[in-house]
Amino acid sequence: MSMFSYLKSLSLLELLKGLRVTGEHLFKPKFTVQYPDEKTPLSSRFRGHHALRRYSNGEERCIACKLCEAVCPALAITIEAEPREDGSRRTILYDIDMYKCIFCGFCEEACPVDAIVETRRFEYHGENRGDLIMSKEKLLAIGDELESQIAVDRAKEAQYR
Amino acid sequence: MLLSFASLAVGLFLLLAALLITLIQLPDKILILGLIVTVPVLLLMVAYLTYAERKIIGYIQIRIGPNRVGPRGGLQPIADAIKLMFKEIILPRTSNRFLFISAPILAMAPALAAWAVVPFAKDWVFSDINAGLLYILAMTSIGVYGVIIAGWASNSKYAFLGALRSAAQIVAYEIAMGFALVGVLMASGSLNLSAIVEAQAGKFGFFSWFWLPLFPLFVIYFISGVAETNRAPFDVAEGESEIVAGFHVEYSGMLFAVFFLAEYLNMILISALTAIMFMGGWLSPFVGTPIEVWFSWVPGVVWFFGKTAFFLFLLLWFRATFPRYRYDQIMRLGWKVFIPITIVWLLVVGVFILAELPPWFSIEGGI
Amino acid sequence: MVKITINGNTYEAQAGQMLIDVADAAGIEIPRFCYHKKLSVSANCRMCLVDVEKAPKPLPACATPVMDGMVVQTRSEKAQQAQKAVMEFLLINHPLDCPICDQGGECELQDVAMGYGQDSSRFKELKRIVPDKNLGPLISTEMTRCIHCTRCVRFGTEVAGIREMGATGRGENTRIGTYIERAVESELSGNMIDVCPVGALTSKAFRFHGRAWEMQQYPSIAPHDGLGSNIYMHVRRNKVLRVVPRENEAINEVWLSDRDRFSYEALESSERLLHPMIKRNGKWQETNWETALNYAIEGLKNIIATYNADAMGALASPAATLEELYLLQKLVRGLDCSNIDHRLHQIDFSDQNDAPLYPYLGQRIEELEKSDAVLLIGTNLRKEQPLLNHRLRKAALKNTGMINEEISANIMLINPVDYEFNLPIAEKIIAAPSKIVSELASVAKALISLTGKNISDEITDLLADVSTNSIHEAMAKLLNEGEYKTILVGRLASTHPEFSKIRALAAWIGKITEAKLGYLAEAGNSVGASLTGVLPHQGIAGHKVENEGKNAFEMLTKEHALKAYLLLGIEAEIDSYAGSNALSVLEEAKFVVCLNSYKTKQMQQYANVILPISLYPETSGTYVNCEGVWQTSHGVIPPPENVRPAWKVLRILGNLFDLDEFNYDSSQEIQDDIHKKTVNVSLPNNLQDWKMPESINIAISNEGSRELEKIIEMPMYAIDSMVRRATSLQNTQDITQAASLYVSSRQLKDINITSSDGTSLDTQMPIMGDERVPDGCILYYAAQKDGFFSIWNESFKFCSSSYHVE
Repeated sequence: MSMFSYLKSLSLLELLKGLRVTGEHLFKPKFTVQYPDEKTPLSSRFRGHHALRRYSNGEERCIACKLCEAVCPALAITIEAEPREDGSRRTILYDIDMYKCIFCGFCEEACPVDAIVETRRFEYHGENRGDLIMSKEKLLAIGDELESQIAVDRAKEAQYR
Repeated sequence: MLLSFASLAVGLFLLLAALLITLIQLPDKILILGLIVTVPVLLLMVAYLTYAERKIIGYIQIRIGPNRVGPRGGLQPIADAIKLMFKEIILPRTSNRFLFISAPILAMAPALAAWAVVPFAKDWVFSDINAGLLYILAMTSIGVYGVIIAGWASNSKYAFLGALRSAAQIVAYEIAMGFALVGVLMASGSLNLSAIVEAQAGKFGFFSWFWLPLFPLFVIYFISGVAETNRAPFDVAEGESEIVAGFHVEYSGMLFAVFFLAEYLNMILISALTAIMFMGGWLSPFVGTPIEVWFSWVPGVVWFFGKTAFFLFLLLWFRATFPRYRYDQIMRLGWKVFIPITIVWLLVVGVFILAELPPWFSIEGGI
Repeated sequence: MVKITINGNTYEAQAGQMLIDVADAAGIEIPRFCYHKKLSVSANCRMCLVDVEKAPKPLPACATPVMDGMVVQTRSEKAQQAQKAVMEFLLINHPLDCPICDQGGECELQDVAMGYGQDSSRFKELKRIVPDKNLGPLISTEMTRCIHCTRCVRFGTEVAGIREMGATGRGENTRIGTYIERAVESELSGNMIDVCPVGALTSKAFRFHGRAWEMQQYPSIAPHDGLGSNIYMHVRRNKVLRVVPRENEAINEVWLSDRDRFSYEALESSERLLHPMIKRNGKWQETNWETALNYAIEGLKNIIATYNADAMGALASPAATLEELYLLQKLVRGLDCSNIDHRLHQIDFSDQNDAPLYPYLGQRIEELEKSDAVLLIGTNLRKEQPLLNHRLRKAALKNTGMINEEISANIMLINPVDYEFNLPIAEKIIAAPSKIVSELASVAKALISLTGKNISDEITDLLADVSTNSIHEAMAKLLNEGEYKTILVGRLASTHPEFSKIRALAAWIGKITEAKLGYLAEAGNSVGASLTGVLPHQGIAGHKVENEGKNAFEMLTKEHALKAYLLLGIEAEIDSYAGSNALSVLEEAKFVVCLNSYKTKQMQQYANVILPISLYPETSGTYVNCEGVWQTSHGVIPPPENVRPAWKVLRILGNLFDLDEFNYDSSQEIQDDIHKKTVNVSLPNNLQDWKMPESINIAISNEGSRELEKIIEMPMYAIDSMVRRATSLQNTQDITQAASLYVSSRQLKDINITSSDGTSLDTQMPIMGDERVPDGCILYYAAQKDGFFSIWNESFKFCSSSYHVE
């Protein structure tokens, strides 16, 4: 190290530069969003809580192909299938363990019939142990509740999929 | 709960006892009144220092910090304090219970006791003893025992590592700090803190203070102070990203809060001492300037606390700016940079004194 | 040997070998759909087109014999283009329903389309839709997915021997199916699921239950027949989802019988026993193992103390593992008792001391294919041992063009019922059970007079009165002429009241003709049970015991009834030919311990303790098959709830009785122990081991009686408790037809059923005319659950008012 750099480091110039940067930030306008009062806009690709969709005639879309289960990197999805009375392939168990889910959206992408989707819902909680293991009934109920928004979002993104 | 209150009570009792013992002169009523006012004020300062810290760091990170409890989050520290008081104190099964509980008290008591000799303004001091500076050195050194004992008594690897780091760090920086204070001692010719402040009074106000002739010592003293208080960027003793939380990893609830108090008390103390030693304590910076008269009504204690606040702000600013030092770099800085520089500068100060360099060392101004 | 070049590398091949075989052996991948190494070449899918030098067009590798100096490119521009084009055509009419297709993930079409197809289709028109066929309870169909590879058709004609499946129509209108709507009734029908390259034929039991990628595959051994077929169990989340064959050329080739394939359904049966149960004060209660075991021990100790050890008896299922059987006999013999047996269906034990050590096939399974003259005695081979039957079929059809070369075998049979065989029968004798011995004696006599060989004077004397006719002589001639001759003795012979005579006669015929004499081991471990000494007269490895115990039939008859019974894996009233006697005997017994995987009403009537034991996928164990090969399988799923492997239960019972050398920590240790003790046992010599009969009865015993002779058959899907609870198998025709009684059509009008005291009874069962049944006989099926004749009942008589002996 040269004498110059010795002196330079002794002068604490680098540190002062750093202090200047942070010092300037002190006075910058803050962009904190006051979350419960204000909310940021959500994309139509938002990956929130899952839902199972139905066709407009009330028939559930899921055909128990288990591709979502296979693709899920967190092993959060558990499916059991069986022939339904009418002979069609249906799930008898469709659980998503929201404790495990990492919201990667692979399940949604793998689904050949757009049955499992991730909605815009991200505010949810459980009050008892196991509340966040979402059963087929719960997922279908969410799907029914949010279908109008889901359908709009899917239609918007359809051209990119 | 009970344990936390009990420990707090014991801690405060020990504090007061320590304070009383240091005040060998019979205290008059005003002194006791001062004591009763000062301790809660200091604790309140700590509380709002944490608030200030969160706000300032928040602002530097372009966010707004706590803003939910009370107006603009002003009651946040109170909420935190209440939370800490109600939290369970977990005693690790394999810890040494006695030492585990006494360690935070040992950390906090000296931090409070040191205030006994700090002059808030002219004659506003509990104990105007002549060995004030030595007393301060002694008290700040004892504080580290709390950290070391906490690390050992926890019987936890992380805590132990934190304690070791802390011990080595304190040893290294105590020396640099001591040498820096020797410079002040030489310049002022006294160990009495009030005398040191008085020695900085001069015709040139701000420029008569010791920070200018002792500039390297001033910088080193403050940086060492940061290191002494285990603050960023010297917070390797807790280093939450490396050793989880270091010496206090096993502490919770009120015991943890006591450590917390000790750390912030030390921060205030170091800032106050820097103000006293190098920034003229309660002296107005405008002495000798045309606008001196405009500020003559300001009481000295306001100058004192203003200067302290400035250094506290610097501490927070550092934390928001600098990443944590690598451990070997800390050691290198302490032993191989600070100590040589202070020794060299002591020689320089000696030369200044011999040369009676005005305005600081001329006969009228100095000794 | 010729030399050919594939993709630049030179390989040696047999002249006449097909290109695809050479490529397969060399590990060169050629896509294919219709080609299957065990089926004939049809070359109709065109997927295996390869580029052969000097050939103007690409040639199908499966139908192109190699020639010296051939230069082949499997991935040249030309070949790839051809493969791509074929793939596109195949996909034109294939639906895009992979997500709901059970074959998805293990589909040859998917794989080949990914590897050799193109990424998009140019087909914009409508796809065809084909109505599904109902192929019975085992196979579900989705005929729209069919790509007309005809593997199933060829499997049907060439392997299963049923010409039920076929292709009708042309071009896009081609349909695969049974021309008239009917179920596929082959006992090997499950293999169609395996050979189908797409999802057109899938397993009904497995339908929609799992995906190829989510299952783990574990090797195992099927215990339902003497073959010990090698299988893979596909398991997901500790549940067996399906069973598929594991290739073993020496045993099951690539096939698997339906019985072995679908029996896994019984694992989930509602009758499954999940906790130990004891009967206290006439009431059943579930309890823990400690209580149940102590209760069992106390009960047995009481019996031994009150009477003696000989008042106790043990019966074991021959489908249990070698280790379990060994421990059971060790336990019983350790208590100084010799009443132990596994031969539940046998009646005639008179020659047991002279009989072969175990029911050995007399040869390797593979060697059956070499046979050119085969005599089957008392067996419905197709249903008893489906894959042994397939070996014989291969032998019989060697020169019919389906499987090339050599002369075919002459198959002859002597049976009480004219069972349907899927192979050409050269000569057959259908005789009432009481006449089987004399018919066999006639064949022996014809052989002696044909060859002039004299085995011993004693035999000549015995056969003095036997007369022969042209059929016997024809049989003798064929047997004598053959190069490699085989005689197989089946279940209807081994359950015959004069089994010892049949054994002796078969051995004589074998000696004269120098044939291989084989017995068909009934269950997965019939051989193992005999080997480990689950027999009243001998211990492990054939060691003679001092006090000969009672055999299975005796133990379950009133005269010899015991005070306490230990039943391992059997439902005695169904699994034994002692039948309803068994039920009453067990009910009267003082203490009955059942080790079983299921609980039944009957069992709860007679048992005092029922200990839940695991089924074969849940325990490790060894099976010794009919050729004497030891095969060990490991547990593939844990036993449910409180169920424990039987070897552990027996081990603890041994400990609780304070018996020596019962401290095994694994089934491997037990196996090692058994192996050490049986290492010197050589293969039995079936031709030597028989007992000279006192007489050969040629007189017909029931002459003039109006009572019909009973022929009792075990339905193939009722042979053990597991198979009986496999729901899919229970819906097959083999079971539904078992719910009737069959008599010769000529006697149909005049049947009535009476109990032994002469009162008439309503059977609730239809009595059907059946040409297969000889006059004077009635055929009924044993081992049915809850049926009227679930039990062999000696007290019932079947009489015909118009029956006369001709």
